[in-house]
Amino acid sequence: MASLKKIYFIKARDFVHAGEASIHVQNLLKSMHWDPGLIRRIAICSYEGEMNVVIHGGDGELNLSIENDRLTIEIIDEGPGIQDISLAMQPGYSTASDEAREMGFGAGMGLPNMQKNADEIQIESEPGIRTRASMTFFIESPEGTP
Amino acid sequence: MKTEYATGYIRFHEERCTGCAECLKVCPTRAIRIRNRTSIRLVNLCIGCGACIRACAAGAISAATRPPQQIGNGHVAIALVSPVLYAQFPKAMPKDVLLGLRHMGFRHTIDMSIFLEMFQFAAAEFIRRNREIREAPWPLISPVCPAVVRLIAFQFPALLAHVLPVLRPVALMAREVKERIIPSYEAQGRQVVLYYLNPCPTMEQERLGPEGAPLKHAEVSIGINDLYPDLNQRIDAILSDVPAFSETHFEYETCASANAALVAMSGGEIASMRIEKSMAVHGLRDTIAYLQKIEMGLFPEVEYFEFRTCREGCLGGVLSAVDKYLARSNVQRMLHRNGLSRRVPGNTIRHLYDKGRFKPDKSPLTLTRFFGDRKPALSLEQMVYIEKILDTVAGWGCGACGAPDCPTFAEDVVRGEAELSGCQWLRPSQRHQPATPSEPGQGSPESGQ
Repeated sequence: MASLKKIYFIKARDFVHAGEASIHVQNLLKSMHWDPGLIRRIAICSYEGEMNVVIHGGDGELNLSIENDRLTIEIIDEGPGIQDISLAMQPGYSTASDEAREMGFGAGMGLPNMQKNADEIQIESEPGIRTRASMTFFIESPEGTP
Repeated sequence: MKTEYATGYIRFHEERCTGCAECLKVCPTRAIRIRNRTSIRLVNLCIGCGACIRACAAGAISAATRPPQQIGNGHVAIALVSPVLYAQFPKAMPKDVLLGLRHMGFRHTIDMSIFLEMFQFAAAEFIRRNREIREAPWPLISPVCPAVVRLIAFQFPALLAHVLPVLRPVALMAREVKERIIPSYEAQGRQVVLYYLNPCPTMEQERLGPEGAPLKHAEVSIGINDLYPDLNQRIDAILSDVPAFSETHFEYETCASANAALVAMSGGEIASMRIEKSMAVHGLRDTIAYLQKIEMGLFPEVEYFEFRTCREGCLGGVLSAVDKYLARSNVQRMLHRNGLSRRVPGNTIRHLYDKGRFKPDKSPLTLTRFFGDRKPALSLEQMVYIEKILDTVAGWGCGACGAPDCPTFAEDVVRGEAELSGCQWLRPSQRHQPATPSEPGQGSPESGQ
């Protein structure tokens, strides 16, 4: 059984290149003709996760893994961390900087959106050290086509 | 040796190609490959955006439209006029341009103003009703630019549901002509030819009747640039003379408002639509970037996107004759002179809307089928093989292999369409040991685009 793993670097506060890792993941799945709806859910999660690093984090990385019946997106960053994860999960709660808000980000929908679109989500944070968000999507066959 | 061939939207003149490879990099769907140094091959992914025509300094790539020949000779010639045409002639009024066309041999010159006006009204009507019934997802995407719709079908199929389901202005115009003008000539046994005067490449194959049946009358696309020299002379002649006002048969054979020319400008479609939450994006790069963002769930609050793959909108169409900024200035002048008067009462259009006259002729799903088969799905094993190849090539994207970038080259190898040895920069240890698909790929952050 083949498995595909890729690592993408995410640079903090780089709003110009923000989203490129997610676009790359998306194009990869498109060339395998995965279901557009599934690709879109994955893209939304990966983009929100990537933006969290750009907005709040120190530098980080996005790890893509496709294995057996699942695709996993893991986002790790060395940022300030999340003090209260259940609070951060509430729609509209945001600690984004004014800079990010002026650019149209930081509406407090990132984590709720990720939770809504992923089949499984796991968030761990050690404030001041690192945050790790892992999102899993179950696929019906390794090719992702029903 | 065959030195010229057309494929879909594009015609290639092999003897003019210098092998500079500029066209390779600009193609948004990565449809171009160079073989034997000066011969391009298009894999069948062309969406007709015209980026390669613009990029080719050697003049080796042109649109597959036909130069105008023997217009009106032995047939009734009907011109479907893009408003971009008016913007090519700073001194002439639209009526002079239409008269010039008649002097060239066109019997009817159909102006797009009324159809654009009706389209804009119907689009706004759909958006207004969509606020209540949520028939389609926000943001809706303008169907006006055909290259955008093909780009979505090919690269963003999940967004096809966002394409506004209202018949495009050109299709509205063609239907009106087919219903009101052509039958009377055909009843007299006369041959009719419909000429689309276009600022962008168009494929003849799209001009089929329902169920793909061949049409009784002929349909031809002419680039504005091909029409320009002759038309320009005739307009000069008209302007130096007192123009004899030619009689017109239909209300839409004249142009009284500058609205149509405004729509040819980026932002012009939404400018007179009165939809508050709308955005206009132009240029191929930005169009793709914004489509990607919409696909990732951004802009849920925007109701309508106007996309044009050409910079400055249709005025920047690759087959226009004068530069887009000059054309823009000409449109500004028309706006001052003619204003934005409307000709069709809203109630009339709303009545037609309720009768279903604006329903699109083909559903987005037919477009999925159209492009879906063109690039067969890759398996996960093949994706891993691609990563493996990307680890063995230098990753500079030099284009020497004939593919636009390393990931595309790797994909061609995996699909059996290129040899790994085609890469000039394989790492030495790999030169005689082609990568095999059996080993799992290692992650490599640089292998992205």
